[in-house]
Amino acid sequence: MAGSRRKRPLSHSVLQEGRNLWTVNANPGVAVRGESLRKFRGVEHRRWDPNRSKLAAGLLRTRKDPSILLPEEGTTVLYLGAGHGTTISHLHDHLCGQDNESRGRLVAVDLAPRFLRDLTYLAHQRPGLVPVLGDARKYDAWGVLVPSKVNWLFQDVAQAGQVDIFLTATKRFLAKGGIGLLSLKAASERQQDGNENEVFAKAFDQLEEHVEVLEHINLTGFEDQHALFVVRMR
Amino acid sequence: MWLWYSWQSAAVVNENGDFLDIEVNDGNFSVQGAKERLQLVAQGNLPPEAKLLLERFPEAKPTPHGSETLPEASYPLPTDEQQMAADTAALSIAEEGVAMSAGDPDRRLEHLLRASDELRTLHLTMEARLVEWIGLFLPRARFEGDRSGLAKSMVALSSLSELALLLDVEPAYDDPSTSEWNALHDWGCMVANQRRQLDRLEHAIRESTESHLPSVSALVGPMLAARLCVEAHGRARFARLPAGTVQVLGAEKAFFSHIRSGTPPPKHGHIFMHPWISRSPRWVRGKIARMLAAKISIAARIDAFEGTAWGDDEVDEVEAKVTAIRNEFSQPPRR
Repeated sequence: MAGSRRKRPLSHSVLQEGRNLWTVNANPGVAVRGESLRKFRGVEHRRWDPNRSKLAAGLLRTRKDPSILLPEEGTTVLYLGAGHGTTISHLHDHLCGQDNESRGRLVAVDLAPRFLRDLTYLAHQRPGLVPVLGDARKYDAWGVLVPSKVNWLFQDVAQAGQVDIFLTATKRFLAKGGIGLLSLKAASERQQDGNENEVFAKAFDQLEEHVEVLEHINLTGFEDQHALFVVRMR
Repeated sequence: MWLWYSWQSAAVVNENGDFLDIEVNDGNFSVQGAKERLQLVAQGNLPPEAKLLLERFPEAKPTPHGSETLPEASYPLPTDEQQMAADTAALSIAEEGVAMSAGDPDRRLEHLLRASDELRTLHLTMEARLVEWIGLFLPRARFEGDRSGLAKSMVALSSLSELALLLDVEPAYDDPSTSEWNALHDWGCMVANQRRQLDRLEHAIRESTESHLPSVSALVGPMLAARLCVEAHGRARFARLPAGTVQVLGAEKAFFSHIRSGTPPPKHGHIFMHPWISRSPRWVRGKIARMLAAKISIAARIDAFEGTAWGDDEVDEVEAKVTAIRNEFSQPPRR
């Protein structure tokens, strides 16, 4: 596939073109972080940079059907550790579309006011995005914003005990058969847990006890010392 | 028996998932109304419906929506309109939280301190260039005694020969052109201005640290207190650090090299700046640093948990200890 410029739709609004990903811009004319905009068949797309987004890297790296990494359009999804909103914006393109025509809800939680500053700005331009300033672990404070269990959950918190946080969150928020994605940063775990491969192997075993692990995607090259685990709720 | 509640409704439910009583609120909420309720739930309080039910069933255990202890039941979910109000309210709550982060003195102190560090680096570089630049034209002029005075005295001048007159040296062999002098003069004004800005920054740091960390400021001075606090990522974390960490804050390179490769451990980090350590003989610095770090740690806890701030008495006690250590080990250890 590498090198081929054939366009392959991964969803209604996500397009793969060789080693590039594009999403239909839900906020036409505006680039969120200076990414390139291009029209395909008259529809404006934004380039989804896999070096900046672990989800994009995962979509390119997966050996299975990439579309299972994406939520169903127009559903409610939960994103823990939202960051500046790069991935969030592309996910919003896919999930909600322009003026939230698909009627999706993207609940994005982050602890840092600095990140929320960018996210709230984004939320004003993109209806359907619900930013929450809060701790991913203290969901009693914001859990009421997710009334029913979701079918798609993404976690990218760079702190020790990421797997525990993820498992608690999936138990609380992920519906049976729902897809959970855990972006694991090896460097965030304690040093005595060993090198990155040991951390990943340990995480795999720990996940396997509670959920069905569909794939372990190594993101080396896009994001070193990171792996993306794709799990399905049992 | 549980008292299930969400931000808009509440119900009393038994082990089998049967509702014993229910208060469903399916009216439309204003964004403000939804916001107040979301904030109530976020703080761990009960919305009005739940309070009402708790009066009727005092033995029911209040449990927020989604908790795993709750039995399976078809709990009343918010309507689409209610959810939209809640989403708008959530955005507004997030924005309030972001705005409130400006009230955090730790973040403000960090900007002040980093700004002063950056400006100082820039200032020293630019000042060095100015001295070299003038030295090229006026080779007899010496600035070793007062480098910062040069920039200040340049501000009011309009030519290099005036400067030569002022410094009482021979005029330049080859005067700079007008445009060259203008550029040189601008450079000098900028350096002089930076000096003033630096003083202002430091004044702001002192003022803010003295109210944020009164005890640590009294003990080691506000500038060092500010640096330790920023390096520790905020007052709350500073207060929770063990004294051993406070001792080597700022010496991370040496510290991790010690852990990784067994080089000698650092005896002091930023606290070395304090004259009690830097002006003590080499062989007692480690001992004093250890004692001082422990005292700083206590002072930081007093400040973080808002105890009575340390005054001169406590600081004098610590100083007496420093003197005692210095006196006890007045001679270098024998090899």
